[in-house]
Amino acid sequence: MSADRNKSVWVVVAAYHEAPVIGRVVADLLRHRYAVVVVDDGSTDDTGQMARAAGAKVITHAVNLGQGAALQTGIQFAVSKDADYIVTFDADGQHRASDIETLIESLRTQHVDFALGSRFLGDAPAMPLARRALLKAATWFTRRATGLQLTDTHNGLRAMTRRGASHIALRQNRMAHASELLHQIACSRLGYVEVPVTIEYSAYSLAKGQRLSDSLRILVDLSAQRLQR
Amino acid sequence: MIAQIGLSILLGGILLYAWTEWPRAPAIGSVAMLATAAGLYFVWLPSHASWLAAEVGIGRGVDLVLYIWVIISLLVMLNLHLKLRSQMELITVLMRNVAIAEARSADVEQASV
Repeated sequence: MSADRNKSVWVVVAAYHEAPVIGRVVADLLRHRYAVVVVDDGSTDDTGQMARAAGAKVITHAVNLGQGAALQTGIQFAVSKDADYIVTFDADGQHRASDIETLIESLRTQHVDFALGSRFLGDAPAMPLARRALLKAATWFTRRATGLQLTDTHNGLRAMTRRGASHIALRQNRMAHASELLHQIACSRLGYVEVPVTIEYSAYSLAKGQRLSDSLRILVDLSAQRLQR
Repeated sequence: MIAQIGLSILLGGILLYAWTEWPRAPAIGSVAMLATAAGLYFVWLPSHASWLAAEVGIGRGVDLVLYIWVIISLLVMLNLHLKLRSQMELITVLMRNVAIAEARSADVEQASV
C-alpha cells in the first residue's frame, strides 16, 4: 500500500496508564505512515505526553471513562478528520502494525465495511491456556447473542470504512464495548470479514488483559443495557 | 382500614412512579406496575393472598405480600441503577465533545502559529 493511501487511514488507540509502551506503539504506527490518534483516557502518568512526543494526535479525557468511551471518541474524531478507513488498535503493544495493511486490503478487495482481526485464524504464541478458554467462552456467547459467525470476538484490532463507522455508536464505556460493537455490526447488516492477525503476548499485556471477573462485569453491563431504551 | 388506606396511597405512588419510568425502562416499568397492582389487590383482599400463598407453597398470605414488597424494592433499586447508567452516558457524551473541541482548537492554534 502506498504512503499516500495510508494517510486516509486513521488508527485509534485508546490508552490508559500506558506510558511504558505507548511511545513505541505510536512510533511503529507512524513508521507505516498511518494517521494516529491516541485517546488518553484520564491517565495520571505520562501517557499523553509520551504519545504526543512520539508524534500522535492526542485527545484527552479529563477523567477515566473506559476503553469503550475512548474508542468512540477516537472514532468520532477520525470521522471528523475525513478518514476513509478507521482502525482500532490496542495500546499495550500486542498488535502488529503490519497487520493493518491486511485488514485495509480486505476492506478494499472484498467490498465489506468491517474487517475484524482474529488471533485464532492467525497466530497467538504464548497465549496462556486460561486466556484461551476465556476467549473461547466469550466467542461462543457472542456468536449466539449476535448471530455473527466469528472466531475471535474480543480482538482489539479491527478496521472499518467511514460508512461502517457511521453505524457505530458505543454506549458501553468499559469492556462490554467489544460485544456491543459486534451487536451494532450485526444490526447494521453491513458486510464483515475476519482476517488472520498475530497477537504478541508479553508480561505487560497479560497483566493488563481481561480476567474472569471482567467477564462477569461485561455480562452485567450487557444485561443492564438490554433493560434500557 | 387506616392501614389499608395508607398502604394503598403508598402503592399508588409507586404505581405512578413505575408508569412514568416505563418509557425509559419498559421491562422494569412493566414488572413494577404488575407487582404494585398485585400488592394493591392483596391489600384490599387479604383472603385471596392467603389462598394464593397456600397454592404456591409460601404458607401465609402476609409472607406473600412481604415478598411482593421485596420485589418492588428490588425493582426500584434496579431502576435507580439504570438511571445512574443513563447519567453516566450523558456525562460521557459531554466529556467527549469537550475533549474533541479542545483537540480541534489546539489544531487551529498550531496552524495559526
